[in-house]
Amino acid sequence: MTRTGPAPALAAAIACAALFVAWEIGARLARIDGLPPASQALAQVPAILGDPEALLNIGASLRRMVVGFALGVAVAVPVGLTMGRSRHVAAFFNPLLMVIYPVPKAALMPVIMLWLGVGDASKTLVIFLGVTLPVIYHSYQGSRAVEQKMLWSAAAMGMTAPARLVRIVLPAALPDILAGCRVGLVLALITMVTSEMIARQTGVGNILFNSLDMAQYDTVYATIIIIGALGFALDAAFEWLRGRLVAWAEPAHPILAGTT
Amino acid sequence: MKALTAPLAAALIGSVPILLIIALWQVIAMSGIAPPSLLPAPGTVFTRLLQQFGSLAYLDHAATTLGRLFAGFAIAVVVGVTLGVAMTGSRWVGAAITPLVRVLAPVPKIALYPAFILTLGFEDASKIALVVADAVFPILLATSQGTAAVEPKLAWSALAAGASRLRCLLTVILPAALPSILTGCRIALVISCIVVFLAEMITSTDGLGHLLVRAARNFQSVDMFVPLITISLLGLLLNAGFNAVRRRLLAGFPEAD
Amino acid sequence: MIAIASVTKTFDSGKGRRHLALADISLDIAAGEFVSILGPSGCGKSTLLYIVGGFIPPSTGAVLVKGARVSGPSPDRGPVFQEFALFPWKTVLGNVMYGLERQGVRRAQATARARELIAMVHLGGYESFYPKELSGGMKQRVAIARTLAYGPSILLMDEPFGSLDAHTRTRLQNDLLEIWERDRKTVMFVTHSVEEAVFLSDRIVMMSRSPGRVKDVIAIDLPRPRSRADLLLDRRFQDYVVNIERLMEEPAPEPRR
Repeated sequence: MTRTGPAPALAAAIACAALFVAWEIGARLARIDGLPPASQALAQVPAILGDPEALLNIGASLRRMVVGFALGVAVAVPVGLTMGRSRHVAAFFNPLLMVIYPVPKAALMPVIMLWLGVGDASKTLVIFLGVTLPVIYHSYQGSRAVEQKMLWSAAAMGMTAPARLVRIVLPAALPDILAGCRVGLVLALITMVTSEMIARQTGVGNILFNSLDMAQYDTVYATIIIIGALGFALDAAFEWLRGRLVAWAEPAHPILAGTT
Repeated sequence: MKALTAPLAAALIGSVPILLIIALWQVIAMSGIAPPSLLPAPGTVFTRLLQQFGSLAYLDHAATTLGRLFAGFAIAVVVGVTLGVAMTGSRWVGAAITPLVRVLAPVPKIALYPAFILTLGFEDASKIALVVADAVFPILLATSQGTAAVEPKLAWSALAAGASRLRCLLTVILPAALPSILTGCRIALVISCIVVFLAEMITSTDGLGHLLVRAARNFQSVDMFVPLITISLLGLLLNAGFNAVRRRLLAGFPEAD
Repeated sequence: MIAIASVTKTFDSGKGRRHLALADISLDIAAGEFVSILGPSGCGKSTLLYIVGGFIPPSTGAVLVKGARVSGPSPDRGPVFQEFALFPWKTVLGNVMYGLERQGVRRAQATARARELIAMVHLGGYESFYPKELSGGMKQRVAIARTLAYGPSILLMDEPFGSLDAHTRTRLQNDLLEIWERDRKTVMFVTHSVEEAVFLSDRIVMMSRSPGRVKDVIAIDLPRPRSRADLLLDRRFQDYVVNIERLMEEPAPEPRR
């Protein structure tokens, strides 16, 4: 894959168009009630985006997501970096992380709602939990891979251990940390949508299932398109930012882990 | 001697935070800060867990969850590996699929669940479809990256020995990319585990996720914790099982352990 | 046997810049001849070998082998790489059998033939080992056996002993000469060691870099069969080595913008 100018963006646009065309044709051929043609769903998108209440809902969702994501990164990066440089710290946290890993974070929603109520706090906490694990994991990998001799040189120059962590390990592990943040960002969005689907109070996930219950299928699909576009846009924006921050590093692979 | 004590020490250190959390849980539960309806004592929860493991009805729900998980994961492996290899093997397939993957990979697949429900119904098919949608991308990306990164001299050695391009792809590139493919599969397995549970929580009449939601609706806090612990244990077991399979498959590879 | 006719190779070095790796190379190699390509790193000597192998196409010009234009790899031209390029998931026996299987040799026959070859490279008893369990020298012996297995009339050796320690290197050089003197295959041998080139070759093609071109061709007129101990004491051998080393000391290339 050679990255030359607008070619990938164009290819992505063509891919989108192809998806919609395939959907349109498929829907018209299949004639299922539950699958309206793409054109009908797309026509609903402006209606949703023009509805102030829906916009408020989406805005609230995004705010929770950003807060949860920021908190998650703030906690996860120091933990991951320290784990990577100390065998004991790694041994301390690893089993705990392994136990938490397969638990769907959004599934904690009912339990957390029991404690914190249905407000913003519960949803933000769930997003926070969803973000931390991948960011810890990638920071840990990046920090562990830092060349020992680089740290020896720094120590020889008189740098203290905390200074080494901030001035050597952090920048050296930055490409990995950002890779983790990218996964974390997509996860934050997923956890957000899922927790709203489960809690069914406010937010995008709620719009999705309310319209499903009311058999407004066009709105269901239009919401799916909006969420999908949101995911793609967030990822692309972050990828752009990452490219600026760590231009010196190897080009990133597409995200490997991208879910719940 | 030392080789034996080091992992043992690590395991001891690692058990500290887990034990601490359980201890804290116990203390809070005993102190009465939180009523048992909000936070049941750990003893109560683990007793209930063991009790449920002996209950056929509970095991039946667990089996339903596992069945959906494996069905979705298996389909994702077949589709992901096939497409990933084809992307490397054919320039045309690669050019066609790469942008599609770029667009679809960051989309939160859970948002597609209503669409799957509408087209495939409320039963198993829609849940399996969601698992496939979520699990296929890590496998596909790992396969296409892994096969593309295979040392070309490995392929050249095969071509010079008289292998056709297709044969080279299947007998050399594919096995050479196995470590990478299996890494993708392991991520996908945990994802499948998570997704099937969530799908069952959102709409279902059976499975572990359904049990959690049912307990939440009836304010049975003990029964909310039991499926959560079960899914965590299931994840650990699946991961361990997968690692055993991986070690066998990667017998000759340096990265086997 | 091999006719390289005005071959050039340009690489895309990104951002629209092009890098001329090989500039107009012409060279003929006779059947049964042992020719070394000697040059500093970056002179394109390996690239030239890959073009003869048919692994990468030339930008202009052509390679003819037995009068036919090379358009891709063929079992008639067997490569041996510095990186060994063994299949890590196959045992020693499996690696050596790969080419035989591709040639359609029956399984029983292929096994027997592979065992013979493994014994010939002094690795009898290691048939069921995986490459990762072998030392570098042993791995290269397996790679040589794997290539000899499908009976190429031309061996294309890409710095095959470049990553081995000095002792292993001389042992493998002796073994290679022994094999070559028995079946007189045509050998194209890329190296940057003057001593190695003089010891093994009938002719040495010296290349210079930026861009890669043929600087000199030197016939090595030393008696065969050669023994390392005799040659080291031989005045003519010493002269060849000293003279070629002097020729190699070219001024560093101008930094190019």
